[in-house]
Amino acid sequence: MSRLAQRSGPPAARREGEEDDVCPVCKSSRYLNPNMRFLVNPECYHRIKNKFRKQTFEDIQVEREVDIRRRVAEVFNRREDDFNSLLDYNNYLNDVEDITYNLINKIDLDESERKLASYASRNQQTISLNVQKSLQESQNREARQVLEKEQARIRREAARREEQEEKRDREEGRRDVINMLASSDGDASRIAREGQQAVLKRSKTRQAAIQKQQQALSSDSSNGAPNGGFFIQGLKTKVEPVDEGPYDPFQGFSDKRKYFVQQNRYAWDRLDRLQKDTNWTAGGYDFREFCSRTLCEAFSGLGVFIGEEVTRTDPAFVGSVATVAAAEAGAGSKDIMMEDPF
Amino acid sequence: MKFNIEDLPVLFPYPRIYPEQYAYMCDLKRTLDAGGHCVLEMPSGTGKTVSLLSLIVAYQQYYPEHRKLIYCSRTMSEIEKALAELRGLMKYRAEQLGYEEDFRGLGLTSRKNLCLHPSVKREKSGSVVDARCRSLTAGFVKEKKERGEDVDLCIYHENLDLLEPHNLIPAGVWTLDGMLQYGEQQKQCPYFTARRMMPFCNVIIYSYHYLLDPKIAERVSKELSKDCIVVFDEAHNIDNVCIESLSIDLTEDALRKATNGATKLDRKIMEMKSTDAAKLQNEYAKLVEGLREADEARDDGAFMANPALPDDLLKEAVPGNIRRAEHFIAFLKRFVEYLKTRMKVLHVISETPPSFLQHLKELTFIEKKPLRFCAERLTSLVRTLELSNIEDYQSLQEVASFATLVATYDTGFLLILEPYESESATVSNPVLHLTCLDAAIAIKPVFDRFSSVIITSGTISPLEMYPKMLGFTTVVQESYSMTLARRSFLPMIVTRGSDQGDISSGFQIRNDPGVVRNYGNLLTEFAKLTPDGIVVFFPSYLYMESIISYWQGMGILDQVWKYKLILVETPDSQETSLALETYRTACSNGRGAVLLCVARGKVSEGIDFDHHYGRTVICIGVPFQYTESRILKARLEFLRETYRIKENDFLSFDAMRHAAQCLGRVLRGKDDYGIMVLADRRFQKKRGQLPKWINQALLDSDTNLSVDQATATARKFLKTMSLPFPARFQEGISTWSAEDLAKHKAKLEEEKIRELQHGSGDRHVHGQDVIREAEGEFDEEGIDDAMMELDA
Repeated sequence: MSRLAQRSGPPAARREGEEDDVCPVCKSSRYLNPNMRFLVNPECYHRIKNKFRKQTFEDIQVEREVDIRRRVAEVFNRREDDFNSLLDYNNYLNDVEDITYNLINKIDLDESERKLASYASRNQQTISLNVQKSLQESQNREARQVLEKEQARIRREAARREEQEEKRDREEGRRDVINMLASSDGDASRIAREGQQAVLKRSKTRQAAIQKQQQALSSDSSNGAPNGGFFIQGLKTKVEPVDEGPYDPFQGFSDKRKYFVQQNRYAWDRLDRLQKDTNWTAGGYDFREFCSRTLCEAFSGLGVFIGEEVTRTDPAFVGSVATVAAAEAGAGSKDIMMEDPF
Repeated sequence: MKFNIEDLPVLFPYPRIYPEQYAYMCDLKRTLDAGGHCVLEMPSGTGKTVSLLSLIVAYQQYYPEHRKLIYCSRTMSEIEKALAELRGLMKYRAEQLGYEEDFRGLGLTSRKNLCLHPSVKREKSGSVVDARCRSLTAGFVKEKKERGEDVDLCIYHENLDLLEPHNLIPAGVWTLDGMLQYGEQQKQCPYFTARRMMPFCNVIIYSYHYLLDPKIAERVSKELSKDCIVVFDEAHNIDNVCIESLSIDLTEDALRKATNGATKLDRKIMEMKSTDAAKLQNEYAKLVEGLREADEARDDGAFMANPALPDDLLKEAVPGNIRRAEHFIAFLKRFVEYLKTRMKVLHVISETPPSFLQHLKELTFIEKKPLRFCAERLTSLVRTLELSNIEDYQSLQEVASFATLVATYDTGFLLILEPYESESATVSNPVLHLTCLDAAIAIKPVFDRFSSVIITSGTISPLEMYPKMLGFTTVVQESYSMTLARRSFLPMIVTRGSDQGDISSGFQIRNDPGVVRNYGNLLTEFAKLTPDGIVVFFPSYLYMESIISYWQGMGILDQVWKYKLILVETPDSQETSLALETYRTACSNGRGAVLLCVARGKVSEGIDFDHHYGRTVICIGVPFQYTESRILKARLEFLRETYRIKENDFLSFDAMRHAAQCLGRVLRGKDDYGIMVLADRRFQKKRGQLPKWINQALLDSDTNLSVDQATATARKFLKTMSLPFPARFQEGISTWSAEDLAKHKAKLEEEKIRELQHGSGDRHVHGQDVIREAEGEFDEEGIDDAMMELDA
């Protein structure tokens, strides 16, 4: 019989009622063993003092319900902005809740499971997308919380410092006055008054400085946040623009050949021979360039239908059209009208 | 008497008027003309209510808009007093005008106070009365009856339906007592008469809560039009009322009851499904459309309303996952279970609503949005199920309100879980506080909705604190001093004992035997010299108890006992009222008594010690709040961060407003007199925070006295008070007859002409000028001569 007693940590004060907890398996009770810990089986939801996992909720039904909900929530994670209207969203929520309710209360269990599974398989992509989104959101939220906490701490510190300074100023002022009274032989009341005024003046200038500082603090954060814990509500979460990739000056034009694929090597004796001849290669001449040009010339003109072009374009330009078209065809581009002929 | 303020003819139901009353009225009119809010501080006992009522009624009757007056006060007795004043005023107006104006003034208080049903009215608890009344008067009960089912109805309520709906009660002003009598005669329910007649009233007088508590306000006060004039009287505590109305405390017991309530609801739903599924389906169909539509038939008998939901939310449809009744119940159960889990933590936790919501979502998959609709959804469900014994669901409703509030407000609220009642407790008794930190949230709808809101009290200094805390701007902000023909009250600050030792309730020295003895001496001395009653205020029950036991050991109580009877306030209200009654009897029988009470207790607010019931009030120690409270700490932090109010400033302000309230208890009129003793070294620096009228009467020489000096000063003061002082000495100075007023106006006119000749002139009559002038007269006339004549 395995016994999992909680050895570490002081025994916490217990509320009444827990004393009567008895393990249904070994019949030992909390009265005899105050450190005993009850755990729940996530399959049958029986409370046994044995392995399994820690119980969160007092009500076992709720414990089970939450587990089911976790499963459902992992699949049905549509967001409000996925829907055209609020009504649609609400209807969706209603349907999901129906399925969940059925799963929890074991009504049409098979049917509901089937629904869940089929939705999961059909919408894998959106599900993972929404998971990412909510992950992002929670990260943002955490970051904001950390920021807010930090700012609150700074403000608190500033307030404390301010208080201390004020106190010190006051005391200094008093000391000054006493010193003055002791050393000079002027009118006592006048000296006292002047001393007071000096303190007042100092505190005023300090207050102004602090105010300025606070204004700076509250204005420097984006989103107008921490002016006393205020931040703007209801900002639409920005949709990240789709990644467009690096800038492409040719706007999708590529020099890939359409009609042929150039090989690195062509079995042709003459070419092989020349390639080995230093007279030819010394100048840096690349034979691939030669092949490319030859192939290009061979295929240029394919896919060009002059008859069509003639009827489409202004008769005045007919002459030039063919060449342009040919050049383009030679370049192997799908986009024939890419370039202005002039 | 009858006079004009600018073009407005005012009928004032007394032959004489105090200068400050006139000034107050002038400023009120200025506020109403300008159409904005104002804060006015008028010394206690100078007839604030009657000046307010007579000016506003005159304003209503004279101008064609006939703006309605909503007058809010704190306690039932204050409401009754105001109604009586209004009644007197209307009687006087009828006499003067020669005809009865078409005018209605009604007061509204809880069902418990206005019930006539023979068995329901015998219930002791207010919520039980409410619940039983609902079960007898709700709309569906009547429907059932009509269908021939055997259900009980309240005959008093039924009779109302036989009357014309806009004329349930004859015109005139009805006090609460009067309503009860009329209701008994006509066999009609006074509570519903008042509720239903509210749209037809010129003046409504009720408690703050009907306007501030969102749970009630939505229901009772939503039909009031925008141009109503709203008055908050005795408003020095208004920020606390606001905060309390939005704060919810949950205990384990409440959660258990909530679970039971949810289970019971579940059963009811099952029953209804088998008997009358169409009804549930009907509700469902309505909820698809939106809450407002579903709620069109909000009637008197309904359940409780939602707390402070923004209007746009109400128009939105209920989230799909709580639309079905059974889904919603499962939702509630899950939420309650979650709260129970939170309660198991054995250390203090304080967190913001967003962090609470996040954790909630992680654990139970409850989203913020359905949580926001919780309270409203529950109301709708309860109505659909036609439940009659609503008290079973009270806790569940509390949880639902909690849910709605926590999901609605990101800032201005804090959740604090306190597992132990006190620091030394070992058995946990957890309480989850959802505490509102921002008083402005509850009162904001009032300021937004009504164009003129008047906040007034006897002690509301410093005035600028209130607009800051409640988030509004004022057009007029004024504090009036008291015009007196003689110095009729003596404020003093006692800082030292006779042995020159400092006295203070500061926690370092509060239990010092020397300090305790000095306080004891102070009490003994004043018990010797004061005629009739003495009221002593302590900062807290705890401190009072410890001091009393010290005094008992030192034999001080025995000494006081020789001169006065000693009575003590306790937290139990019945014991306290018994003590008060005995105190009054003792004072009336000549020997007098000492009442020891607490500055934040029941006695300090709303109980008057006029004339011989209070000749001396002693404030022992500065009544600071218990600063270790976590809720207070959170609020202080919030105030500093949001409104830039420093902790110490707020604590000091709060302590001084309570001290001022205590002092104001003894002076309830111009013919009254009394001594006010502030016994703490620290009061010296806080002098500026006292209301203007007290501060002005406090001489510089009286701000740093020892006990023996204070005794001597008080003796001298009482001697002058004992001289006969006929009313005629006050004439023209602290009371004005019609001629005096005319003289004053002529003088003002002259001044204005002079000013106009010199250039710019202000068209309005300013209250402060009036007071200044009156005080000027006080100096000029020289009361001493008159006194000498009298002596001779």
